[in-house]
Amino acid sequence: MIEYDAEQKRMVLKLVYYGPAMSGKTTNLLKLHDLITQEGRGDLMVLDTTDDRTIFFDLLPFFLVAPSGLKIKVKVYTVPGQVRHDATRKAVLQRADGVVFVADSQLAEAANNFESFDNLEKNLAFVGIDIEKVPLVVQFNKRDLKNVASEEEIARVWGPTGVPVTTASALEGWGVVETFTKLLELTYAAIDRKYRLLEEHGLDGASFVRQMTNVGER
Amino acid sequence: MESRQTSNASANRLQFLVGEERGLRDVISEAEVLPLLRGAVRAGAFAAALADAEGKVLWSHAAPDAGEQGGSAGLRGPAILLEGEPVGSVLVKGEQGREEFLKGIAVMLTAAVNLLVGSNLKRMLTTEIHTTVVNQSYEELLETNRKLAASEARYRELAESLEIKVEERTAELKKALARLLQQEKLASVGQLAAGIAHEINNPMGFVTSNIHTMQKYLARFVEMLQFSRDLVAGAPGEAERERFAGKWRQLKLDMVLADVDELVSQSLGGAERVKKIVADLKGFSHIDDLGETVADLNAELDRTLAVLVHEIPPGAEIVREYGTLPGFSCRAGELCQVFLNIIVNACQARNAGLRIVIRTELSGDAIVIAFTDNGPGIPQEFLPRVFEPFFTTRPVGQGMGMGLAVVYDVVTAHGGTVEAGNSPEGGASFVVRLPLSSA
Ligand SMILES: Nc1nc2c(ncn2[C@@H]2O[C@H](COP(=O)(O)OP(=O)(O)O)[C@@H](O)[C@H]2O)c(=O)[nH]1
Ligand SMILES: [Mg+2]
Repeated sequence: MIEYDAEQKRMVLKLVYYGPAMSGKTTNLLKLHDLITQEGRGDLMVLDTTDDRTIFFDLLPFFLVAPSGLKIKVKVYTVPGQVRHDATRKAVLQRADGVVFVADSQLAEAANNFESFDNLEKNLAFVGIDIEKVPLVVQFNKRDLKNVASEEEIARVWGPTGVPVTTASALEGWGVVETFTKLLELTYAAIDRKYRLLEEHGLDGASFVRQMTNVGER
Repeated sequence: MESRQTSNASANRLQFLVGEERGLRDVISEAEVLPLLRGAVRAGAFAAALADAEGKVLWSHAAPDAGEQGGSAGLRGPAILLEGEPVGSVLVKGEQGREEFLKGIAVMLTAAVNLLVGSNLKRMLTTEIHTTVVNQSYEELLETNRKLAASEARYRELAESLEIKVEERTAELKKALARLLQQEKLASVGQLAAGIAHEINNPMGFVTSNIHTMQKYLARFVEMLQFSRDLVAGAPGEAERERFAGKWRQLKLDMVLADVDELVSQSLGGAERVKKIVADLKGFSHIDDLGETVADLNAELDRTLAVLVHEIPPGAEIVREYGTLPGFSCRAGELCQVFLNIIVNACQARNAGLRIVIRTELSGDAIVIAFTDNGPGIPQEFLPRVFEPFFTTRPVGQGMGMGLAVVYDVVTAHGGTVEAGNSPEGGASFVVRLPLSSA
């Protein structure tokens, strides 16, 4: 999955925001870009979304250096939600190290959420990623709206799966950093096991997350 | 089960990944960077260079006589960032004692390189995903083909439609790619210009304020000079008086005093003009807007014309017949591009005696903007094709024939229509119709 080059002391991680069209993936990245002020946060690239193009996703890159000198680049992508862009979704999902599934909380969107999650399962299998093992967080977005699924209902459906669930209003800007933090924690745990980030590179989970999510005073 | 196998097979053949790692040299080329370095030298640096993260110089440019001039130690600009990672910096050398000025140049150069990096990266990512998706679609088509072979009869029937599909697909891709290229190009040129304009504002700020201060100091010098002259005129000592008057003549102080005010106010005027140009450029590119804003299209037309002053042939007459328009919610930068492309097109219609009439009005629930020129018009057989990408009747080298294709795309994306035709008097006319409701 992960790209790791011991000689160059470089590691590239890929995190993907998945979900149905219009659930708020791009808005999540926009808010992360606005809220996170750490020095290595790159510019957000929104590869544009006019209607008849096959070619869109967004990219928000981060860069940090571990105490050992290991350079870590984290690339956060969104995928296009529209059904017809499945090829793009597969391409972006390849080699993902972690996934946030952004669901639209509105009751009317339940079917779209379901269909998109189903598509995520299929595509993870397609690119050879085990959904049981990949760090995965589900975000229920648009909590600011009326007619949304209740928290009890969400807990009832997702509780048994053991997948961590967060709630957010990307529009209002809350829950976004929390979701990202959760994903970073899970991702760190998954790669630390394999690449000994703490033992060999002196980078512990808390400071990895802290460095990635340094939220400025605003 | 079977479909799973198919999928895996084609996954193995996928060769492109999205988001491949790139270094500075993968993203920008010598040909792109050298003009920027040359620009810095033209602006007054002795030498300018771009170095990688280790400090190794990748490309450099020096003034021809830089060797003899000696000059200051190298000045390093802020880090150039590639996806947040510091990957290099610019170095600038120049006259000893002008560090502030050189620092300004280094900052400007860095901004320009950063913009270049950003827009190239975006273009590469776009192309990359495009290649991936095209490859995958191709694999999928092959797969379909294989399945078709299983049933001869069905094959025949479907193969025909497949062929049409492939043709359609190819044409579509060609169009998409052409549009993409042009849009990226426009976007990056606009961004580069606007970015540099933005950077010019800072130094212009202190230049203006320094000239103001200098104006005050000069007034004091002038007063002191006149004071000394009066003092000496009244003093005894013929010889001293003559020496003073001689020096006064030698330095041509009468002329200097008469001229100095004029010089300073002219410089201030020039600085004001630079500020205005920068404001026009920034306004035109709408670099500060994100997404849709409510715009006054008459004002946007004026903005576009302001940016275009140098493209409009001398002696040409631009007639603005603006009606009263309601605010229009749109991506104003894109619409400015539409106006620009149509007006530039009209400017090429004829050399002497060009007259362009721009009429705006609210008609029903749509804004209608009509551009009419008095050139030769568009030959009837070309009318249906003018909005096609790459369609041009001009000689090679005068544009790619993309201007009107972009016009069509942008207007359509805003839910509007654009029609090309000829006015009864014979000139070409372009009528853009933008419905208020769909915006
Ligand atoms: N009310 C509300 N609207 C949201 C929220 N997040 C996103 N949106 C809106 O939903 C629409 C689609 O958002 P976008 O981020 O482009 O969705 P994407 O297709 O998943 O990238 C936009 O109009 C957003 O402003 C939210 O938390 N609350
Ligand atoms: Mg989006």
